[in-house]
Amino acid sequence: MKKKTIAFRFSTLAISIALGVMFLLPSLSFAAIDTIAVDVGISVFKTMPIGIVPFTEPKENIEWIEEKPHQILTRDANLSGRFEVVASDKFNLALFSRKHVKHYVTGKVTKQDGNNLRVDCYLYIAQTKDMLVGETYVVPQQELRRAMHKFFDLVIKRLWGERGVASTKLAYVSKMDGIKQVVVSDYDGYHRSQITRDTSISMMPVWMKGNAGLVYVNFKTHRPRLYFKKFGGVEQPLFPFLDQTYSPAVNPVTGELLFSSTVDGKTDLYIGNMSSGKARKFAYLKSNQTSPAWSPYATEVLFTSDRGGGPQIFVMGKDGSDMRRVTFMGRYNERASWSPEGDRIAYTSMDNGKMNIYTCALDGSDIVQLTNNAGNNEHPTWSPDGKLIAFASNRGGSYQIYIMRKDGSNVTRITNSGENTSPTWSFFYDDLD
Amino acid sequence: MMNKLFKIALVASVVGFALTACTTPEPPKTEPEAAPAPEAAAVQTEAPAAEQPVVNADSLAAAKAKEEAERLEAERARLEALINQIMSEDVYFDFDRSELTEKAKELLAQVAELLIKETRFSITIEGHTDARGTEDYNFTLGAKRAMKVKEFLAAYGIDAKRMESVSYGKEAPKAAGESEEAYSQNRRANFRVNIRD
Repeated sequence: MKKKTIAFRFSTLAISIALGVMFLLPSLSFAAIDTIAVDVGISVFKTMPIGIVPFTEPKENIEWIEEKPHQILTRDANLSGRFEVVASDKFNLALFSRKHVKHYVTGKVTKQDGNNLRVDCYLYIAQTKDMLVGETYVVPQQELRRAMHKFFDLVIKRLWGERGVASTKLAYVSKMDGIKQVVVSDYDGYHRSQITRDTSISMMPVWMKGNAGLVYVNFKTHRPRLYFKKFGGVEQPLFPFLDQTYSPAVNPVTGELLFSSTVDGKTDLYIGNMSSGKARKFAYLKSNQTSPAWSPYATEVLFTSDRGGGPQIFVMGKDGSDMRRVTFMGRYNERASWSPEGDRIAYTSMDNGKMNIYTCALDGSDIVQLTNNAGNNEHPTWSPDGKLIAFASNRGGSYQIYIMRKDGSNVTRITNSGENTSPTWSFFYDDLD
Repeated sequence: MMNKLFKIALVASVVGFALTACTTPEPPKTEPEAAPAPEAAAVQTEAPAAEQPVVNADSLAAAKAKEEAERLEAERARLEALINQIMSEDVYFDFDRSELTEKAKELLAQVAELLIKETRFSITIEGHTDARGTEDYNFTLGAKRAMKVKEFLAAYGIDAKRMESVSYGKEAPKAAGESEEAYSQNRRANFRVNIRD
C-alpha cells in the first residue's frame, strides 16, 4: 500500500515536471513527449492511437480456423474503448507519424509440434522500435484468442498503467428452446458456455466474489428463488426460509449477498451469508425495495424504492443509514449500477414505454443519456476497469448484448443469435499477472 | 346470480379462446407450468370409493354403485368446471398500477362467492406485468398486484390461510408481442386452484 502511494506521488511529480518542461520547451524531442503522452494519456486523450501490424507467418501456410492474431488484437483494441486503431500491412513510420501513432503491436507465428502454434507478441515504440512488451504463447489454435486477450491486457497495463478487461467475462441470460438459461462467455462474446440446464426459467445472474461461480434466480419451485453454482460444482438453493428471493448483488469485499425478498406482497432488502446460509433484513422501510448495487468498496448501496409511486434510485450506507434520493428526472429510474471508479452510476430509465441507459453523478446531477432512438436499452453493467458498459438492446430486432464506452460511443454488438439479456460483467481475474 | 356467473364464465372462455386464436400458436414455453393436471388428478382419486359390490343383492348393489359413480363423476365435473372458471377469471390492471379496477372488483366478488361455497378450495394468486420495465421492478409490481387481489378476497371473508400470492414479474406473459393489446392482457393476476381434503 505504501509503495503504491509513493509510486503515485512520483508519477504525479513526473507529470507536473514534464508538463512544465513541455510548456517551457515546446520543441522537445519526440521520445520525451512519448513518455508524457503515456503517463497523462488518461486525461489528455480520449483514445490513444495504436498501430496494429499483421504477424509474420511461416512459409508453409497455417490453416486458420480462428481469426488471425492481429485481427483478434484489433477487436480487443476497438472494444477496449481506449485506442484508435491504425491498421497497416507492415511497419510504416510515415503513416504512424501522420496518425500520431506512438506505439504499435505485431509479432510472429510459427508452427510447433502437434497442433500448437508459437505466437511471439511485441509492443514497440514506433519512433525508436524499442520493445516495451514481448511475450510468447504456445497454444493450440482454439486457445489463440484467449492468449491474445492476455497479451492485450499487458499492452494496456504498459501504456495506461491500468488493468484491461480483455480477459474478463460476462454472464447473461440466453433463451434456449424458449427457456431462459444462464450462460457465461468471454467479454467479447466468444467461448460461450451454458451454466443452467433447467426446464424452468433461470435469470438475473451475478458473479460470486473471485469469479468463483454465479448467483441467479430459478423458478423450479414455481416461485422466484436464488441459487448459486460454483463453476464445476452443483447448484445449491440459497435462503430457502425466505419467500420469493431475487435481485442478487454480491458484496465485492466480503462476498455477502444483498437481495430482495417478497413476503405477502411487500418487498424488502435482505443481506445473507452464502456459506452459513443465514440472512437478515437489511433495512426497515415502508416502501418496496429492489435492485440493490454495492459501491466499489462496499461502503454504500444503491437501490430502487417505489416510495414515490414509480421506481426511483436511492443510496444509503451499508448499515442502512443516511438514505438519499439520487434520481429526480422522469418517473421510472431503475436498476442502478455503481461505476468501479465510484463517481457515477448507470441505470435504466423508461419514458413513453421505451427504456434507455443513463449515467449520473451520485448526487443526481450531470445526467447523460447514453442510448437514444434505438429500441429498448437496459441492464447496464460496468466493466471492472470502469471504461465500458455492457447492456442488452433490441435495437436490431431481437435482444442482444452490446458493449459501449461509458460515454455511449463505440457501441459494438457481441452476441448474434437467439435472445440474450441481463449481462453482468465479472470482476477482474486475479491470476493474470 | 347463477345466470350472471354463467355469463362471466362464458365471456371468459370466449375471451380465452379469442386470445389463443389470435396470438402466436407457439405456447409460451417460458411460462412456469400452471397446468390444472395435479388438481384434476386429486379429484379423481375420490372415485374408487364406488367399488366393492355386495355379493347377495348383486343387481341392486350394482345399480347403487353405478349411481354413486355417476354422482361422483358429476361432482368431479362440477368442481372441474368451477376450477376452470376461477382459473380463467384473470384480473387486469392499468400500466404500472396495482389498484383494482371496478371491473376487477366485480370479477373478484364472483371468485370470492365461489370460494365461500367451496371451502375445500385454496388458491395461489399469481401477479404479472407487461414486458415494459426492468425484470427486478416488475417482480415487485407483480407482487403488489397479487397482494391487492389477496387483500380484496380477505376483506370479502376468505381466510388468508387459503390464499398464497406469488409474482412472476414479466416472465410469464399470456399474450406475445409488443402491442398495447398484448400488454393489457399481460398486466394481470390469475389463479391456480388447489383442493384440500
